[in-house]
Amino acid sequence: MIELRDVRHRYGDRLVLDLPAFALPAGARVAIVGHNGAGKSTLLRLLALLEAPTEGVVLFDGHAVTGRAIGRVRRRVTLVEQRPILLRGTVRDNLAYGLAARGVRGAARERAVAGAAERLGVVPLLGRRRTELSDGEVQRVAVARALAAGPDVLLLDEPASSADRAAVLGLHDALERERAERGLTVCLASHQLEDAYRWSDDLRTLADGRLSPVTPENLFRVSLPADGTEGVKHVRVGRAEIAVLTERSGHAILAVPPTDILVSAAPLATSARNQLSGHVSRVARVRSGAGVHVTADVGVELTAVVTAEAVRELALAPGRPVVFSFKASAVRVF
Amino acid sequence: MDDRGRRVDFLAEGFRRAAALIAGGDPDLYGSAALSLRVAAAATIIACGLGIPAGFALAGRRFWGRRAALVLVNTALAVPTVVVGLLLYGVLSRRGPLGGLEWLYTWQAIVVGDVLLALPIAVALSAAAVEGVDPRVRRTALTLGAGRWRTAWTVAREARFALMAVVTAAFGQVVAEVGAAMIVGGNIRGETRTLTTAVALGTAQGDFGLALALGVVLLALALAVNAALQVLQGRGRD
Repeated sequence: MIELRDVRHRYGDRLVLDLPAFALPAGARVAIVGHNGAGKSTLLRLLALLEAPTEGVVLFDGHAVTGRAIGRVRRRVTLVEQRPILLRGTVRDNLAYGLAARGVRGAARERAVAGAAERLGVVPLLGRRRTELSDGEVQRVAVARALAAGPDVLLLDEPASSADRAAVLGLHDALERERAERGLTVCLASHQLEDAYRWSDDLRTLADGRLSPVTPENLFRVSLPADGTEGVKHVRVGRAEIAVLTERSGHAILAVPPTDILVSAAPLATSARNQLSGHVSRVARVRSGAGVHVTADVGVELTAVVTAEAVRELALAPGRPVVFSFKASAVRVF
Repeated sequence: MDDRGRRVDFLAEGFRRAAALIAGGDPDLYGSAALSLRVAAAATIIACGLGIPAGFALAGRRFWGRRAALVLVNTALAVPTVVVGLLLYGVLSRRGPLGGLEWLYTWQAIVVGDVLLALPIAVALSAAAVEGVDPRVRRTALTLGAGRWRTAWTVAREARFALMAVVTAAFGQVVAEVGAAMIVGGNIRGETRTLTTAVALGTAQGDFGLALALGVVLLALALAVNAALQVLQGRGRD
């Protein structure tokens, strides 16, 4: 539906996004994760056509979006920012804003406002002004305002940042209902991995403006030395030292795929050059079919994906000693 | 009577004469007040009508020459009123490029001079007002599907207090202006004699009471207009 092609985006001399290809298919539920400054918000602003990429092109339904088409496409793609702002007037005025911009008037506008307010649970707030709302309420109203406008693509930047657990679940339910009713495409940016796993069926990771080739856990920004022994370089990450098989040097992102980590109760005699000992800090089943995420402090916080059976057999629980093993060649460098 | 006594008496006499002229409905006094109000209102409306959209464009768009335009506008803020009057005199005089309009020594010429003086104020202050608006307001309007004009109106509503200050500052500039009005208006009694040019003339002729009365009316006028703008601002709260 909406796509970025050969996009490189700069603020001054700083390259903030480098995306040869990025697409949101119609009806998709995509989460973009990454640390602060990874480029998530910039990516959403490019998708929302609020900024033009320095290089490259934005396509909607296969057509490049330029000139007058920008205004037309903006009416189909709506962004809710991380710290949304309400416009002057009441909550009702805010919910009606996008509809008024589309020329929807009278009873049709009232119905759409009431529907969106009901879905997001903001009916009691309709008569209030922005100064009378909490941050969490502002965030819910902003999502209701975006949904009231009836976009085809909804972009959400950290939608759970100001909301309590109940509000997050309410927001999740509202989005699911909207998707079921009219096939809304949802793309959200989050730094909370668990939420991203729950909300999406397509998880993508941004690191320093580039898409990571692997899942978002275990990403580290490092400086690789110029020389190593037979191609193996040792890099300090936190208190741990990680062996990496790479030709690259200088600034890079290391990714240790969680599925490539072997979890054991004691050190093993294997070919793996990395054997890091520590203690389990978290055990979480994120989604059916996605295995169990075991996070341990092994000098640095690493997450491994194992089966529920392995968790039972090794009695993996917070505080238990554990060894994480992985090969130097399993570490991805990008 | 000593020197100090004579000076106090001179001032008191001036105030007494001013009160008599104001209370007696002096036609020259009120004629000048009416002309000042008409000229100031026209010049403020034109300057803000042109300057505020220009300020929006300067603040909201990144285009080639934007920085130079801002430097030009800020420089224009410091141009002395008599210099503007002098240049306008050259343009409107019979041999000037716009001499055919025959506007020299008319109230329209004073309006043009006042517009030239208030325009940089309107542009610079409205650009600052728009730049002061949270950039999320514009982005929110755009992402909700608003077009260019609705977005500008939404931003203007957020900047309404600062934009009201632009109108107040422009009005303050033109209602108090004397140099350009004197040069291109000619200070003709009953035609182009504004309150400020009449004050200058009264002082030069030694009619301190008349000058003081004119000054009091000018202050009252400025006070009334600013009070009205303040009331409008109060109504515009969130």
